[in-house]
Amino acid sequence: MSIVQPMLEALTILIAEDSAADRMLLSSIVRRQGHDVLTAANGAEAVEAFRQQRPQLVLMDAMMPVMDGFEAARQIKDLAGETLVPIIFLTSLSESEALARCLEAGGDDFLAKPYNQVILAAKIKAMDRLRRLQATVLEQRDQIARHHDYLLNEQRVAKAVFDKVAHSGCLNAPNIRYLQSPYALFNGDLLLAAFTPAGDMHVLLGDFTGHGLPAAVGAMPLAEVFYGMTAKGYGLAETLREMNAKLKRILPVDMFCCATLLNLSFQRRSVEVWNGGMPDGYLHSIASGERTPLKARHLPLGVLNPQAFDDRTEVYPMALGDRVFLLSDGVIDTCDAHERLFGVERLQQVFAANRDPDRLFEEIDQALRDFRGEARDDVSMVEVSLVEAAQLSPPALVYSDSGQSCPLDWSVSFEFRAATLKRFNPLPYLLQLLLEVHGLRAQSGALYSVLAELYSNALEHGVLGLDSSLKRDVSGFTRYYQERNARLDELQEGYVRVHLQVTPRDEGGCLTIRVEDSGKGFDVERVMARPLDGIRLSGRGVSLIRQLGRNANWCDDGRTACVEFFWEALA
Amino acid sequence: MSVVTEVSPDGQKLTISIKGRFDFAKHQAFRESYEFLQPKPDYFEVNLKDATYLDSSALGMLLLLRDHAGGENADIRLTHANADVRKILAISNFEHIFDVV
Amino acid sequence: MADTHLNRDVLSALQEVMGDEYSMLLDTFLADSEERLSQLHETGDAETLGATAHSFKGSCSNMGATRLAQLCHELEQRSKQKPLSGIERLVGEIDGEFAIVRPLYEAERQRSLAQSTTVQRF
Repeated sequence: MSIVQPMLEALTILIAEDSAADRMLLSSIVRRQGHDVLTAANGAEAVEAFRQQRPQLVLMDAMMPVMDGFEAARQIKDLAGETLVPIIFLTSLSESEALARCLEAGGDDFLAKPYNQVILAAKIKAMDRLRRLQATVLEQRDQIARHHDYLLNEQRVAKAVFDKVAHSGCLNAPNIRYLQSPYALFNGDLLLAAFTPAGDMHVLLGDFTGHGLPAAVGAMPLAEVFYGMTAKGYGLAETLREMNAKLKRILPVDMFCCATLLNLSFQRRSVEVWNGGMPDGYLHSIASGERTPLKARHLPLGVLNPQAFDDRTEVYPMALGDRVFLLSDGVIDTCDAHERLFGVERLQQVFAANRDPDRLFEEIDQALRDFRGEARDDVSMVEVSLVEAAQLSPPALVYSDSGQSCPLDWSVSFEFRAATLKRFNPLPYLLQLLLEVHGLRAQSGALYSVLAELYSNALEHGVLGLDSSLKRDVSGFTRYYQERNARLDELQEGYVRVHLQVTPRDEGGCLTIRVEDSGKGFDVERVMARPLDGIRLSGRGVSLIRQLGRNANWCDDGRTACVEFFWEALA
Repeated sequence: MSVVTEVSPDGQKLTISIKGRFDFAKHQAFRESYEFLQPKPDYFEVNLKDATYLDSSALGMLLLLRDHAGGENADIRLTHANADVRKILAISNFEHIFDVV
Repeated sequence: MADTHLNRDVLSALQEVMGDEYSMLLDTFLADSEERLSQLHETGDAETLGATAHSFKGSCSNMGATRLAQLCHELEQRSKQKPLSGIERLVGEIDGEFAIVRPLYEAERQRSLAQSTTVQRF
């Protein structure tokens, strides 16, 4: 009989056999097959030998004194743990009960006596293959676990960086409630909120395609644009255009960001909405109980190139206490055990059953849990209420200069003509200019509000000829803004002139703002005769200007408006 | 096969039929169905008759096809979508950039 | 059907495997076997009898003592039945068979030792 050439590496094999002759014989056979041999004469010796030397394979006699093969096999398997140490029982047992015992004890195979070398070699080879397979599986499992840890760590780092970018937000303002998982970012869910210089609030609820870092990575540039432009006083339309252009430029073709943006104005008591691809938001009127759906009329951000992008928004009036409710599609898509969706109908049922608006969040959360049985981690909800402007305290703007060089005595004039009026909002630029004057910084909110009112009056009522009384009710509101956009698109002629003058006064100074438009003017006396009130939907612009600025006056048949701001010496 | 393609005899039109869930699992098959066709067809149809469901990665795949087919000038029709699929296309406003028939 | 006392093919396979240690194997087997035989005589309970017979059977089959292995198998089976009658007769038969094969093994041992001095190894 020829030597069986070893086709595998040399193993260390433990031979546990109480008969000396058999032990000797088997050792020789196994050595000849190229392996190293350990021997034991009984079960206890076998377990000890295994514990000390950790052989890779065991040939175990079933019947041995002191400790039999079955018990020794059990103990060795215990010691081996997750590693597979094949045990081949040596037996002349032919009864099936005894064979079953071998299997139960953890035996992997049998070898009958008299020993057949060819069969033994084949069994050793087969067992070794299994052993190596198990070792590979364990190694790969450990590798996967390590990689998973790296990924989790990468996500932690990414989130830490993102949180620094997002810190300037105002999600903790008293009029905002939200629900979001801490790892929402890695499901692509994004929630941002910030005050404008005028004290309005911009809110964004977004949902990037994909999961994990690819979804999170788009959020950072988007957040920077949102915060940067909102702080400078840019409106929703311009901010949307920039965000869309940025995402279109940096994201791969098949990635995009569904988003709903809100511009909530506490002074004007209105909300401006843009929804690209998100589920319906809801505007809840407390007085009537009615919920107006805010539907997606636009494509998500990052799909269209800048020329094709549609930045048209819808504007709705709001009363004190009214709320806007936004949710991500994690809510609608929550499934139960039978793969049925929670869906819009169930959400409507929760709305209908709700009696206390302050409990709406809890009720929706509970309904989701009841439906699914457990919480999902990609559900995002936000509710923004309209409150008195005085209840909110927007943070003061932070300036980075030292205050030594400051323009104190100057004037500038602008004339914005039709082509410019259509596509350019001069307000952020004008505000930045004025904030170079340190004395004005404390009043930046009032300054921006007044400038914005003067400009929009000049543009909408002056140049475009819109009648503010249209904004009497909800449908009028919608018609007004549709008409505004239509007329602006068609505008061929007209202008708005802005004249700014800063002069020193005692230790402080004075800013004079004059805004003229090319429109028909209005009956100044009649409007001035109305009492200062903040409740009607329309015509409040004039009241605002008179309240926030000093010495507001209109001349030239209402085509020219002037207002002043003063400041004392700085401490 | 859940992604089946058919080219018109004159080679000008490619029809891709999707069966079952249109999601990330079909990503590779979908791409391969049009990527290497030479010459490039002028018209594309994505037949959604047997598509049960569409998720955001499917929307992404449609955008890739649109980009391949000429971007703004692409001629792509999405046909025979069922109510659920239509709803998803409506919410995302993809009907503004694809012909949904 | 006639069981062989000593299977020569098995022996030559053993010699092939064991090489220089062949004679030591034979010695070990003979020593082992004597011990087992005394155990068979001394032991009173059926279980130990069965276990010893089983063990002996295994060695015998490995070493080519076919008839001896067969006898051990019979003893093992008989030890499981009650009453234990005819056990002594079987043990006696095993004694007898061993008496036959033992000189055969010893002769084999001599032969292999002689062979190793005359055959040139590499």
